[in-house]
Amino acid sequence: MAATLTTSHRRILLRTGLLALAGVGAWTWQRHLATSLHHTAIATGLALFLTCLALALFNARKKLPFLPLLRAATWTQFHIYFGWFSILLFLLHIGFRWPDGPFEVLLASVFSLVALSGVVGLFLSRTLPSRLTHHGENVIYERIPALRAKLQRDVEAIVLKSVEETKSCTIADFYAAQLKRYFDRPRNFFHYLTRGQAPLKGILGEIRLLERYTNEREHAILAELTECLHAKENLDFQLAGQGLLKYWLFVHIPLTASLLLLGAFHGLYVFYFAGGLR
Amino acid sequence: MAEITATISRPQRWDVPFDDKMDADAVDRVLSIPPFSRIDASQFPKSTPLRDILLNDTSLRSFRKGEIIVREGDYGNSAFFIIRGSVKVTLGKDAIPAALLGRRESRKKNFFETVSQLWRNPPFPEVRDTARYQAARAGTRRGDTTSPLPVPATSRNPFGRATEAKPAGIFLSDVPAVLKGGTATLSAGLFFGEIAALGRTPRTATIFADEASELLEIRWQGLRELRLRAPEIKKFVDTNYRKYSLENHLRETEYFKDLSPEELKLVADQTRFETYGGFDWHTDYKKNRDTNPIERLRGEPVIAEQGQYANGLILIRAGFARLSQKYNHGERTASYLARGQMFGFKEIAHNWRSKESVSLRYTLRALGYVDVLVVPTAVVEQYVLPKIAAEDLPALIETKHEAENLISPLEQVSGKLPTDFVEFLVDNRFINGRATMLIDLERCTRCDDCVRACAASHDNNPRFVRHGQQLGSYMVANACMHCLDPVCMIGCPTGAISRDAAGGQVVINDTTCIGCSTCANSCPYNNIQMVEIRDARGEPLLDQEKRPVTKAAKCDLCLEQPAGPACVRACPHDALARLNIRDTDTLAAWLQR
Repeated sequence: MAATLTTSHRRILLRTGLLALAGVGAWTWQRHLATSLHHTAIATGLALFLTCLALALFNARKKLPFLPLLRAATWTQFHIYFGWFSILLFLLHIGFRWPDGPFEVLLASVFSLVALSGVVGLFLSRTLPSRLTHHGENVIYERIPALRAKLQRDVEAIVLKSVEETKSCTIADFYAAQLKRYFDRPRNFFHYLTRGQAPLKGILGEIRLLERYTNEREHAILAELTECLHAKENLDFQLAGQGLLKYWLFVHIPLTASLLLLGAFHGLYVFYFAGGLR
Repeated sequence: MAEITATISRPQRWDVPFDDKMDADAVDRVLSIPPFSRIDASQFPKSTPLRDILLNDTSLRSFRKGEIIVREGDYGNSAFFIIRGSVKVTLGKDAIPAALLGRRESRKKNFFETVSQLWRNPPFPEVRDTARYQAARAGTRRGDTTSPLPVPATSRNPFGRATEAKPAGIFLSDVPAVLKGGTATLSAGLFFGEIAALGRTPRTATIFADEASELLEIRWQGLRELRLRAPEIKKFVDTNYRKYSLENHLRETEYFKDLSPEELKLVADQTRFETYGGFDWHTDYKKNRDTNPIERLRGEPVIAEQGQYANGLILIRAGFARLSQKYNHGERTASYLARGQMFGFKEIAHNWRSKESVSLRYTLRALGYVDVLVVPTAVVEQYVLPKIAAEDLPALIETKHEAENLISPLEQVSGKLPTDFVEFLVDNRFINGRATMLIDLERCTRCDDCVRACAASHDNNPRFVRHGQQLGSYMVANACMHCLDPVCMIGCPTGAISRDAAGGQVVINDTTCIGCSTCANSCPYNNIQMVEIRDARGEPLLDQEKRPVTKAAKCDLCLEQPAGPACVRACPHDALARLNIRDTDTLAAWLQR
């Protein structure tokens, strides 16, 4: 069995084992504090806040690429495993029950959203790259609008050519009725999330139907349009996938900033009522 | 609309001479010495007259006894002609301990300079200090051969290549004691260093002055013009090249190292020089890269063919060769060879020991320009093989030709890399890369952190494009590969693009770059961009004719950054690596992570 494990698998197993050990350690520590009649919430809360602060430093590291501050890949690994650890700390901190005070509910909700967005981000970054790679031509995100505009111009040229060459408006009418809106702007974002290709298959089905009523020259033109449809579908997929990979951070990072602010306020508040500032 | 006022003079070749101390008298002196005295100046075009070449592309240099002239392993951009005195060439690898060579570390930013990039980086891309260009241009004296400028001794141009290329006077105080191997002497009237300069390769030996000597240093742009226009120089250099490089090369080759000097000379006398393909291989490659692979393969000159008797041991001296094996109607690439590697040794050694002889198992083809040495089989059998211990000889070849054709096309033919990957690397000439940017697209989240990190480290403009040729999940991005054979350096009129002497990275001197685009056009991989430069206010710099001033820009492997390549360090998913394609072990390990 061990022989079939790759280095990467062994590394993941080791880190997961260490995470489990850290979790058990944290739980034992919390139980020890509880039996010693200490304020377990303050200790776990402080540990949780410091962990969140350390996790947030990853973003600061990204802004300083030229400093010798370990490789970003190493930071990512720390971020992932400390992230999981912070969830364990959070559960210990709230005593495995949802809080009832309005501020605590707000704080717990923000933490949960940060954690959830982090897990979603991790899932996306582990699954989408492979799908993007093997789906079709890889394109740079920022170039997609220009490529889409060029594709649209190409399609319009093909349609105009069809009118000139075949003296028939069948394909042009079909383009105006069915295809134009498909090429006009990005489409079917949510379908791509679920790996669905129903919209494309629908249009391709209509093209196949149209082939029954067209001549050989028109078949060739429809084949060119089909090729463009596939290219457009790839552009939409790349836009959706790469967009998701970029923009989940726009949820995760602002929420993290809010969490740190709320957490600091929460800490000071608790400290005050515990008699620390009086 | 803001008025554009930033205007500078358009940079020209020889704006920055190789040595601003060269004057008309010095040129006259050089022209009185053979073989320069025999050159017919009328063969040179008006745009690059002989006197201007000598004035702007050469430097007269004096060396004291024991002073190091070139160091083994350094990348040379110039050749030397001994005018007076003599020099010693160290024989054998690492003949002088590295600590005594005074090798200069590349200039890295210190901690404060690194941190200060946070606030000192200009807000606009490609901002340049215009005063630097003006200061450089103050030393201009192109075509000034009849009325030399009085150049005071204290006004050495700080931007010239000569200043940068010169070692900082490292001496070997007690030569016999520090030498591990022997030496050979070169006396007045000989060239040296031209192999490294013209071949864009590292120096193969350390050379130091044997007595007080005067040398003419010629930067390779000038040497290339001299070879092109003056047959006397070409013949002189080529004869020299054959005479002195061959024995050195053989001596450095693994199986020849135990030969006595006499045996080595006998072997060298019978060794043939053969050249395949053109020196400017990149132009043919650009033309043919989209052709059918079978056609392309047919266009590659055959050096040795599968199935033939191994007539000689082939040593690759320069360039790249494809090792391929017949498969159905085509040939599949098994591997690639480059400088220092050999072909046919296993077969020759097998035939020498075994009654059952084998023919060559692979075909060797030139990928562009290839320079080879052929040591005849009889010579190898007589002098080389008997000197090798039985346990050091390669294993006998198993002769099962039938089985070879049953291997799946994608199965690796030899080595550790899958065949399709080897074909991909060879077809696209990525085998040239010493620091090729490979991206694992299964891991890359397209976050562009690598691009942003690169921009943050380089004038707010990334020096690569995260896009390029792709095979399956792997992409070779458009980033300078710091090639083994950097053809981008061919034709640079000022020598602005050169190798870093210490690390061998291909770097561009922004001050001496005239924005002619020659390097960008020569790069077969499109990894050099021409960028329009700006002043500190972010306004584009224009020349007197109101045309934007451009400079060549490319990856420099973050030579000045203490942490190394920012792109690699910035990748959060460990998807990006800079790899030497010849290091197949590391490459295979990276692919199989």
